[in-house]
Amino acid sequence: MTALTQTQVADPRPRRRRAGRATPWFFLAPFLLAFIAFFIAPVCYAIYLSLFIKKRSGIGPARDVFGGLANYVRAFQDTDFLQSVGHILLFGVIQIPLMLVLAVALALVLDAAKGSASRFFRTAFYLPYTVPSVIAGLLWGYLYSKNLSPFNQITGAKTDFLSSQIILFSIGNIVTWTWTGYNMITLYAALQNVPSDIYEAARIDGANNWQLTRFVKLPLLRPTLLLTTIFSIIGTMQIFSEPFVLRPLGYVPDNITPNTYLYLTVARDGNFGYGAALAVLLALFTLLLSGFFLRYAATGGES
Amino acid sequence: MKKAAMFVTLALGLSALSSAYAADPAFPKVDASKKVTLEVWSWVPGLDKTVAAFTKAYPNISVKIVNLGGGPNTYTKLQTALKAGSGAPDVAQIEYGFLPAFADTGGLVDLSKYGANDYKKYFVPWTWGQVSPEGKAVYAIPQDTGPFAMVYRQDILKKYGVAVPKTWAQYAAAAATVNKKSNGQVKLGNFYSTFAPWFMALAWADGGQFFKRDGDGWIQTLNNPAAKRVLNYWYGLVKKGDVGTVNAFSADYWNAAGAGKIASNFEAAWGPGGYAGSLKDKSAGLWRAADLPQWTAGSTVKSGNWGGSSNVVTTQSKNPKEATLFALWLNLSSSAISANWINGGLFPASAEGLKLPVLHDTTKNPSKFFGSQDISSVYARASQGVNVNFQWAPWFPFANDNFNKQIDLMLKGKLTPDQALDAWQAETLADARKEGYTVK
Repeated sequence: MTALTQTQVADPRPRRRRAGRATPWFFLAPFLLAFIAFFIAPVCYAIYLSLFIKKRSGIGPARDVFGGLANYVRAFQDTDFLQSVGHILLFGVIQIPLMLVLAVALALVLDAAKGSASRFFRTAFYLPYTVPSVIAGLLWGYLYSKNLSPFNQITGAKTDFLSSQIILFSIGNIVTWTWTGYNMITLYAALQNVPSDIYEAARIDGANNWQLTRFVKLPLLRPTLLLTTIFSIIGTMQIFSEPFVLRPLGYVPDNITPNTYLYLTVARDGNFGYGAALAVLLALFTLLLSGFFLRYAATGGES
Repeated sequence: MKKAAMFVTLALGLSALSSAYAADPAFPKVDASKKVTLEVWSWVPGLDKTVAAFTKAYPNISVKIVNLGGGPNTYTKLQTALKAGSGAPDVAQIEYGFLPAFADTGGLVDLSKYGANDYKKYFVPWTWGQVSPEGKAVYAIPQDTGPFAMVYRQDILKKYGVAVPKTWAQYAAAAATVNKKSNGQVKLGNFYSTFAPWFMALAWADGGQFFKRDGDGWIQTLNNPAAKRVLNYWYGLVKKGDVGTVNAFSADYWNAAGAGKIASNFEAAWGPGGYAGSLKDKSAGLWRAADLPQWTAGSTVKSGNWGGSSNVVTTQSKNPKEATLFALWLNLSSSAISANWINGGLFPASAEGLKLPVLHDTTKNPSKFFGSQDISSVYARASQGVNVNFQWAPWFPFANDNFNKQIDLMLKGKLTPDQALDAWQAETLADARKEGYTVK
């Protein structure tokens, strides 16, 4: 029986396969070419670059020589780099939950509310996301300046929002301002997709508004929340433009985020090899962190 | 309106041309039959107008100007293009402090090959030291300069009965008086805590030497005696509240300066143009310029330099000879110097250029903004008093940023000025060595 079917089917198959084999590749080719050229190749080049160390005699041109893993060893001994990772972890631990709780709350409120007011606020909360981060940085930079800041003028305080102690929080504020509305829209869209019979069933069971939110809406938001968290983790690891725009306005440490430090290593110190090594490490770290979170979220769901 | 302005510019350019044309040095000869296109990266406004005169004199050379806005943008792009091996322009503009870092990439042509050393005599002496530190290889042609002088509000000084300080002791006394009489509302001056070159220019005026080539390596002394003296002096003023710490070029600063809350400052020669541009509606005509205060009262004015730039030729240029000619012409021909001053406020590095009538025209900004005072004469005097031997190191960009870190700690009271400079020296030294430099 099995032998029979095998021989019967085996005959026409290879021909069909051969004809079919090329077709998907043909259609995939434009994407694959672009993918290789703009993604795989730069990654490979970065890894290749990261194996070279800068040699300078002091006078005359510098040379890049093969250094194996020397740049990676240096990265793990570089307190500035390790501190920058520490900064971003601290930042993420505070900012991501704060922003997502806010986004969930806003999404729930907008989902409950009806009419034109809801539509207006939906747009209003989303609006900051449409402002490019460089512009947002400039805008907030002005609001943060010690003597001109409206906060200081109203309260009469002399808070320096750009001082190195609170700059991380000032950046967190800009990021939250920019991204809360964006996450809110994603969560709101997920709520809109919930079939109304689920709500009706809950109502028939006698659930009040709070119970409906707590036991129906929030659990249904879970997958979307997982997605927004992953995006937020990746986004946080990449924070660059906000601190970079604020740099000329006051003292912002070189290593406020890993990306500013990486940028300065390349653009200021001209050390492409070390910068590439930092970039590779940062990518691995981001991958690890999001993977870790996904795993944690998955097991958390099962138990 | 625009046309009228252009006509005036043109007429001025022409008059400068006719009156000072004889002063132009003979430029290197190039093959006039060879068609050449040069790409030039520069942040000087209106450079295309300047270049029109060049292409008239050299019809076979066409010049393409690219303005990347200057500062980090230009440097990052140039750094990347030099690393990539293609995409760099023929000629680029680089500030003196950042020149060694680019020379270090090996991407700059040694212009002595094309006879640049013959033109040394036409430049203000200290500027040549900036582009040719060992006196052999020439990495760039000096373009503009930023010698230091004092700008001040004449009305405010008069209001508080303070004379223009001639020494730093007088300046400290005046700062205390202004602070006291105004109940802390007005500060005589301001400490730019995030601009190392501003601080270094003050120490430069006092003979401070931060970097020095030594055989096959370098000597770094960021904590030199002049630096310590200058920083301790300013820290004392800041601590007493006699001067502010408003960030340079910030909205805060212009607001305070326009509102009369900051009565003076130390600015490079390119600074007054910024005052005229940023404060045109407030306090116009009330500002004046004076010589930098001195540590000891004397007849010769000693000054330092902040900023200023040069033109390099990159090794990617297919026409380095023509590019060198252009760089020389741009900074030595009186028509180009005049246009660069009018359009971009570039204070020339050429010795003859300092005497050009257009610089001293008091009916035009920035002199007009400064109550029709001939401020260029003040700055020309400052330029003559800049120490010739001052050098920068290739890792200066790192030192530049690390300075901000140490000064931030100092202003928070965590480091004394001496400790801040020692930490600046130690951390920068460690980084320079990590980057592979031989440095003591």
